Amino acid sequence: MLTTIEKLIFILLVAFFVGFLALRGFWGIYKIVRQGRPAPALKNIPQRMLAAVVQVGLQQTIFRSRPWLSVFHAFIFFGFSYYFLVNVTDLLEGFAPGFELVYGGRALAAAPTGLVNLFNLVADILSVLTLLGMIVFLVRRFISRDQRLRFNEGVLLNPRVQAGGVARDSLIVGGFILLHVGSRFLGQALRLAEHGAPDPFMPFASLTANLFGGLSPAALDAGIHTTWWLAIGLIVLFFPYFVVSKHIHLMVAPINLGLAKQNPRGQLDDASPPGSDIQPGAANLLDLAWPRLLDAYACIMCNRCNDVCPAHSLGSVLSPAAVEVNKRYLINQNFAALAGGSAPPLSLIEHVISPQAVWSCTTCYACVRVCPVGNEPMADIVDIRRSLLIQGDGLDSGVQTALESLSKNGNWFGQGKRARPKWSKALDIEIKDAGKEAVDYLWFVGDTASFDSRVTPLTQAFARILHHAGVDFGILGQAESNAGNDVRRMGEEGLFEQLMENNLKAFSASTFERIVTTDPHSLNTLRNEYRWNGNRRQVIHYSSLLLQLFESGRLQVTQPLSAYVATYHDPCYLGRYNGEYQAVRKLLQHLGVALHEMPRNCENSFCCGGGGHIWMGETPPGERPAENRIREAVTTLTAHAGEGKQENWLFVVSCPKDLIMFSDAVKTTANDGAIQVIDLIQLVEQATGLDKA
Amino acid sequence: MNIVVALKQIPSMADELPLNAQGSNLDFDEVDFVLNEFDEHALEQAVLVKEKSGGAVTALGVDLIEALDDVLYTALAKGADKAIKIVGDFEPGADSHTQAAWLAAVIRDLSPDLVLTGVQAANDLDGQIGPMLAAHLDLPYVGVVTGLEVAQGVAKVHKEFAGGVVADIEVDLPCVAGIQAAAKPPRYAPISKIRQIAKTAQIAEAEAAAAGPDAGVTLRRMAKPVATGRADMLAGDAKQVAAKIIDILTERGLL
Ligand code: SF4
Ligand code: SF4
Repeated sequence: MLTTIEKLIFILLVAFFVGFLALRGFWGIYKIVRQGRPAPALKNIPQRMLAAVVQVGLQQTIFRSRPWLSVFHAFIFFGFSYYFLVNVTDLLEGFAPGFELVYGGRALAAAPTGLVNLFNLVADILSVLTLLGMIVFLVRRFISRDQRLRFNEGVLLNPRVQAGGVARDSLIVGGFILLHVGSRFLGQALRLAEHGAPDPFMPFASLTANLFGGLSPAALDAGIHTTWWLAIGLIVLFFPYFVVSKHIHLMVAPINLGLAKQNPRGQLDDASPPGSDIQPGAANLLDLAWPRLLDAYACIMCNRCNDVCPAHSLGSVLSPAAVEVNKRYLINQNFAALAGGSAPPLSLIEHVISPQAVWSCTTCYACVRVCPVGNEPMADIVDIRRSLLIQGDGLDSGVQTALESLSKNGNWFGQGKRARPKWSKALDIEIKDAGKEAVDYLWFVGDTASFDSRVTPLTQAFARILHHAGVDFGILGQAESNAGNDVRRMGEEGLFEQLMENNLKAFSASTFERIVTTDPHSLNTLRNEYRWNGNRRQVIHYSSLLLQLFESGRLQVTQPLSAYVATYHDPCYLGRYNGEYQAVRKLLQHLGVALHEMPRNCENSFCCGGGGHIWMGETPPGERPAENRIREAVTTLTAHAGEGKQENWLFVVSCPKDLIMFSDAVKTTANDGAIQVIDLIQLVEQATGLDKA
Repeated sequence: MNIVVALKQIPSMADELPLNAQGSNLDFDEVDFVLNEFDEHALEQAVLVKEKSGGAVTALGVDLIEALDDVLYTALAKGADKAIKIVGDFEPGADSHTQAAWLAAVIRDLSPDLVLTGVQAANDLDGQIGPMLAAHLDLPYVGVVTGLEVAQGVAKVHKEFAGGVVADIEVDLPCVAGIQAAAKPPRYAPISKIRQIAKTAQIAEAEAAAAGPDAGVTLRRMAKPVATGRADMLAGDAKQVAAKIIDILTERGLL
């Protein structure tokens, strides 16, 4: 037990450091986050919070990547969580006369011995695991120097981050954990040494106690007091630092996960709060929606998002992690002014992310998907684009040309509206105009499939397949406009609205039951973002329709494709955004194609680098995402080289843009003849014999 | 300073151009109209001058097909201060002389310091609107301009000639300039801004004056180019292609 003077000091410290400094800090955070713009309303918050606690409890989000490091994180996490309880008993040890838990709590009358033993055992083991986990983390950062904790050259970083702020913070936090847990552990060992006997339920502490065998009772007592202060007193002193450190993630991450976006992944938040006439997008820190400000506090600066980012992982100046880290440091630097509501506008382009980085994002959602604390750096990026677009600042000329064509012609190919259905004129079958006759399926063709001469043969083939299977389908012809998915993600909200209104007008002038499209980008926005106003239609991807046609026997496999050795690339907007992974895989199985997964598959698929990003006139030098992906595919199939001749190696795609991106990448990586990019449509044509018909 | 930009809509070249039944002109019901690309540069140059030297920009045009509003809203979104459309009972194919007469009648009342327009337009390629405006308004004209600045009552006009020769010409204001290219590429007008402006902005209307003399040119017949002969593509590797070339040359007695 502590001396009276120690108790007094402790209480005063708690009152000042926790009761005043730390609480003032938390209150400031609350006030800052509240100044963010409104975000879409959240429902069922208590249930969501509970679910988040379970998610965190099971460490689900963190095991999305880096499995080994996640195990060590789990050690620290479980240790720390358990320490909430442990610290309560430590307080009692300090303040209640004669209170101690060693030897099953035998010093206490009526202590439940079994329970206390269990408690001691778990505490003993977790203390050691926490220390182990923390040491591994520190070694990885400071000794083996994991490159993933670094940022690419040219990434805009807050000067304090540039000067090693994150490493310093990590060292302080790591040191705190080692000191806190280590001291508590040693304190228990000293108690055992004082009693002179091991406790079978505290194996590690008992082992350590042997080290103190020779110490005098006075020395042991002094040791117990010192370790108590290093364990418990330290927390109190650490509290105010906790508010500014990355360690606050342990508190904010569960809250952030509980308050996470509830609308579909594929639905961006509005550019400005509905019904307001605030400038769209975000130019300054406080133009961001409040969840984006909370993100900065949840971020543990692990750079997992950088690992999966097609831009950062290939050397670009875009780092989704830096977006969060910079926001956090910017807030820290202006904390008092921000909390007091008197901060000057803090430009995001100046402090958080460079314009070049803003335009490098392919909006692939990989960073959001992988983030263990539920951050959405991509949402910041889109909001910043929206603001840059309105200001008209530094728009890439290629993007401008595409947007101008989209607003004039409804497509980004610079071709007239009337040219959209031109591909259908060369067909020997008549395609219905859904504006003139009722159809079951409205086929939303999309720009690439309508205009790109490398894709239109497949568009025609798909028409023949549907015709052959007796599907009742039609198109909108020249009434169709680009769906607007990529336009919206480039930040041109007004143009997106215009395109959506054009299409909705065309839809309401047509009669159909559901929509099918070969384009995952169109699918995403039609399904998740269009304002259907009670007239919602099911939107399906052609992979699902084709599978259905085979399963119902309306298409038959006449030539199984068993000679092929294939891998498949999940398109971002079909997979990660809309969770559709199985239809294509089942279809391939049905066609007899042997499929071998690349290491990055399904949710973890690697973006081709496309989307609105392909409009960019200037792209950074170095390996492009699609090239990186083709190399991954070739490596994957090389491991199965025995299964088929190389001329039969396939890279299967299910998105018109992918066909182009990857066909180019095969050439630029000199893999001509090593792997063939092929669309599902071509495979179905071959398997059904329609290619020969 | 009072800057006026004359704008003109022309059939979109992004589409195929269908002819009317008589084969005398385009089928104007089947084409989309867009702003003449050179006029986009004229507008940009006008806004650049205003941003540098102050003043106000008035955008105006003849509303040939009752679709000029969008063009004018876009001009306002890009930085024009005032928009005027000339209304009347028009033929969509009205020629440049007639349009210049209608435009000049309105521009005169605006007492401009500087009148800019595209150096030409893809539909007639006669480059007449600028010179005709200058004639009607009795002002000096410089054409094929690729940059323009204004200082102390003088326009400094930049022109580029073939062979990399450039000229900087000083013209007293007021004057008319036919713009080939603005000093910077035309800016992008975000659609949300255009839509916002469309809700609030006023477009002034002016009645077309009685049409003066037209260009004196009558369009008799318009036809699609007829393919005469065609190219044969020689397929195969280099050796095969070479052999075929020799065959062809021998066949024609050239070897
Ligand atoms: S959305 Fe994709 S490209 Fe954009 S920052 Fe995130 S991971 Fe990188
Ligand atoms: S945003 Fe998420 S994934 Fe990225 S560094 Fe922060 S916590 Fe890690």
